[in-house]
Amino acid sequence: MPSFSEVGELVGFRSKNAVSMLVRKLEVLKVLARDDTGRLLPRSMAASVRVLGTVEAGFPSPAEEELADTLSLDDFLIDNRQATFMLKVSGDSMKDAGILPGDMVLVDKSQAAKSGDIVIAEVDGEWTMKFLKKRGENVTLVPANPDYKPIRPKKELKIAGVVTAVIRKYR
Amino acid sequence: MVHSWPKAIVHLDADAFFTSCEQAVHPELKGNPVVTGKERGIVAAASYEAKARGITRGLRIFEVRKICPEAVILPSDYETYSVYSLRMFEIMRRFSPDVEEYSIDEAFIDLTGLRRSFHGSYGMIAERMQETIATELDIPVSVGVSVSKVLAKIASKHGKPKGLTVIPGEDIHLYLERLPVAKVWGIGHNTTEFLRKFGITTALQYARKEESFIKRHLSKPYQEIWHELNGRSVYPVVTESKGIYQSISKVKTFTPPSGDETFIFAQLSKNLENACIKARRHGLAATRLVLFLRTQGFRDYGMEIRLSRPTAFPANLFEPLKEGFSQIYRQGMLYRLTGVFLAGLTPENKVQYSLFDDTARIEKMSRIYSAIDALSERFGKHTVYHAASLPTKIQAQHEGERGDVPRRKADLFKGENKRQRVGLPLLQIKV
Repeated sequence: MPSFSEVGELVGFRSKNAVSMLVRKLEVLKVLARDDTGRLLPRSMAASVRVLGTVEAGFPSPAEEELADTLSLDDFLIDNRQATFMLKVSGDSMKDAGILPGDMVLVDKSQAAKSGDIVIAEVDGEWTMKFLKKRGENVTLVPANPDYKPIRPKKELKIAGVVTAVIRKYR
Repeated sequence: MVHSWPKAIVHLDADAFFTSCEQAVHPELKGNPVVTGKERGIVAAASYEAKARGITRGLRIFEVRKICPEAVILPSDYETYSVYSLRMFEIMRRFSPDVEEYSIDEAFIDLTGLRRSFHGSYGMIAERMQETIATELDIPVSVGVSVSKVLAKIASKHGKPKGLTVIPGEDIHLYLERLPVAKVWGIGHNTTEFLRKFGITTALQYARKEESFIKRHLSKPYQEIWHELNGRSVYPVVTESKGIYQSISKVKTFTPPSGDETFIFAQLSKNLENACIKARRHGLAATRLVLFLRTQGFRDYGMEIRLSRPTAFPANLFEPLKEGFSQIYRQGMLYRLTGVFLAGLTPENKVQYSLFDDTARIEKMSRIYSAIDALSERFGKHTVYHAASLPTKIQAQHEGERGDVPRRKADLFKGENKRQRVGLPLLQIKV
């Protein structure tokens, strides 16, 4: 174990008194102990290291344990692969929501549309992408651009899918 | 009498699959006559609306324009159709692990024993499957449920499009009564004529014929069909994906028809390369090579060549290919299509060296083609190809009108290219 002055250097304390206070705390936490001559002994520091599988030399393979809990970009963006489609945006009616012409949006056809969702819908024979606002029986499709007016379906509203992500690749 | 459900087999068949995919991707085309095959000049598929106007598969595109000027004529987009097909099978597998991918747009599903887990009848499970495909993919499918594959197929044909027909064991006779025996899966023209001699014209008459007659006069496949029609399932639902091919064929049309020897051979060469790629992917090697040319006047000339050693390496096949080509190609003729079949396929790892094989050369070939396949895997098909195929790259497969390339391949996202695109269908909706 390092001496008090070495511990001071390691943790950046100039005063040995501060080091001894630290050591006392670590003793209470049972990280350190003293032998009968008062020398420091390591205790739980050396225990409970997870075994990550055996390796010949060097670091344990990071692939095994840690990466088991990571998502691929595909899994991150797509919930139900069979029901997910791409669409290339052409208009600017959702520009204030950060969806610009040329962007790719992912559309999920299996999710039920809730108020506040961005949806792809056919309203009275016209296709559009807007925020869906529901209030009781009233349904409005709201753009994110002051140049466009909200749409209230006169005859028919068919929701083709919910927009779940927007993807813009720069290079 | 057959017990209601000794087995429960679904036959699911997409309705006008290719054009339904187009209508799913371009929803504004729903209700309109749609035809695919523009790039070949021949109707590859027609929507129900187009069929109702008398358009059939195989019709020339210019005839379509005459019969039905309002028809929407599109180039085939096989990439998109394949993605939809894959998704259909995936959705079916949510309901049962026993799915047989019978063709790109058809499947058999074994539901036996699943009623309890779905808390409903077999008919209801099939209906849920049909509804899920309709909501998630927007593809109409017809579904038949019965106690054997042959009967399930009869059921799915019974109501099309968007049909749902359930034939439990005790109702079989109701569906066979008026069904011509020629409409039964597996019964061809010759058998139909043969059966007519014995006064058998409907499926029910066939099914009701005594076993001794069937055994005396008909071969095993027809005996099996007889059992299946009587509600005794003999054909299992085969869940392994198509492992063993009997033959692999690659056929391509090009327009306008050409008389250029180098170009036509290049077409053949590219088909050969494609067929070999597929064979290698399945670990197969061919023992016979078939090549054929089709003239502008729709006459076919072909020949079959026996190979001295099973192979899936184009380099080994060019020599026989050239020889065959020189025998069937006629100067001054115009050709519109070439095709290559690899036949007599055997597993590649079972091929043995003979005494006279140059083993070093074979090993070298095998290393070269593994490298080529690895490159294709990484950078797309045909990253490296034989020089003989080069003219197909320089001169397009189909010149002429613009718009013969599917929209999916013409309108790319940043990062996509001609060879590789994101594997999700792209909806062609303007928003």
